Amino acid sequence: MKRVGHFCIFAFLIAASLFAGSARAAEDKKPQKISASTIQILVIQSDEVKLPAEFQMALYERVIEELQKTAKFEHVYRDGDQAAANAKDLITLRSNVTGFKKGSERARQVTTVAGATSITIHCQFVDKSGKVQLERDITGKVRFFGGNLRATYDFAKKVAKEVQESF
Amino acid sequence: MNMRRAVPTLFVAAATLLGVVLLCPPGFAQQAVAVPDAKQVLGLEGLKHNASGTLSVDKGTLEFKSGKKKADLPVTSISDVITGNDSQRAVGGFVGTLTMFGPYGSGRFLSLFRTKIDILTIQYHDTSGGLHGAIFTMPVGKAEDVKKELLAEGAKTSIPIEPAASGQAPATPKKEEPKP
Repeated sequence: MKRVGHFCIFAFLIAASLFAGSARAAEDKKPQKISASTIQILVIQSDEVKLPAEFQMALYERVIEELQKTAKFEHVYRDGDQAAANAKDLITLRSNVTGFKKGSERARQVTTVAGATSITIHCQFVDKSGKVQLERDITGKVRFFGGNLRATYDFAKKVAKEVQESF
Repeated sequence: MNMRRAVPTLFVAAATLLGVVLLCPPGFAQQAVAVPDAKQVLGLEGLKHNASGTLSVDKGTLEFKSGKKKADLPVTSISDVITGNDSQRAVGGFVGTLTMFGPYGSGRFLSLFRTKIDILTIQYHDTSGGLHGAIFTMPVGKAEDVKKELLAEGAKTSIPIEPAASGQAPATPKKEEPKP
């Protein structure tokens, strides 16, 4: 009976040490947050995919709005802003459209399954030395409610979420 | 004696009048464009998204007035003007969204009715060089008029207006008829 008790204590101690070890390993694996106090957003490029001008501008404006809302940065600079050259701790967001499918609002509302609009953009967060600190493929979609431009809002929300997690 | 005093005064008055005449005529000669049923989708500071109002171009300024609020920017700061087209629900806004929950598929039936619209996208720079984009929607055929006026007043574009669209016949060299 005494042996069983000792065995139970021993097993408990092993399990506890294993749990603590895995928790520490998970902590070590957790990516370190990127440090940047200012960000500059460049206009979304569409080298391979033909993107309508209104989508290009809507993506750009929405991303700026959503990043300002995150309050992660002291200042969000626009493309071409001369003040960004003197900004310290600046990170630049470069984006390139890799996929675009313009759906149909009518088809979405009539069928509820067809007509989705989606935009896939490769985003790179680059520091002043030109080193890519973070890169992701982010997709903005509109499946049911709203016009096609709503996909740009979805994309901007996802960029902001990524920034919240990584900065 | 009175004539001597009056001559310089008349000279100054004439010079002032001449200056006014020289400076003003181009501004008054330009014909303003105003689109009352426009919608500012996004991009103008101080205005909410999807604000309805009047878009006008006059005296080198693009102005959007929505109720008591208005936003304007100098036409010379516009670096690109692009027109496009799309369609929108005939019954839009919150009511349009509510109709989608109508019984017996009535909402879906209503969503079949759509109206065509023009889209006007502009890119402009602020005083520190930062790029801004603004998107407007308006009734069909109006965007080209606004674009023409913007270009006439000094805006730039990456897509020039086609001669057929501007109502001007393309310049073709006249062929001389062979003499008998």
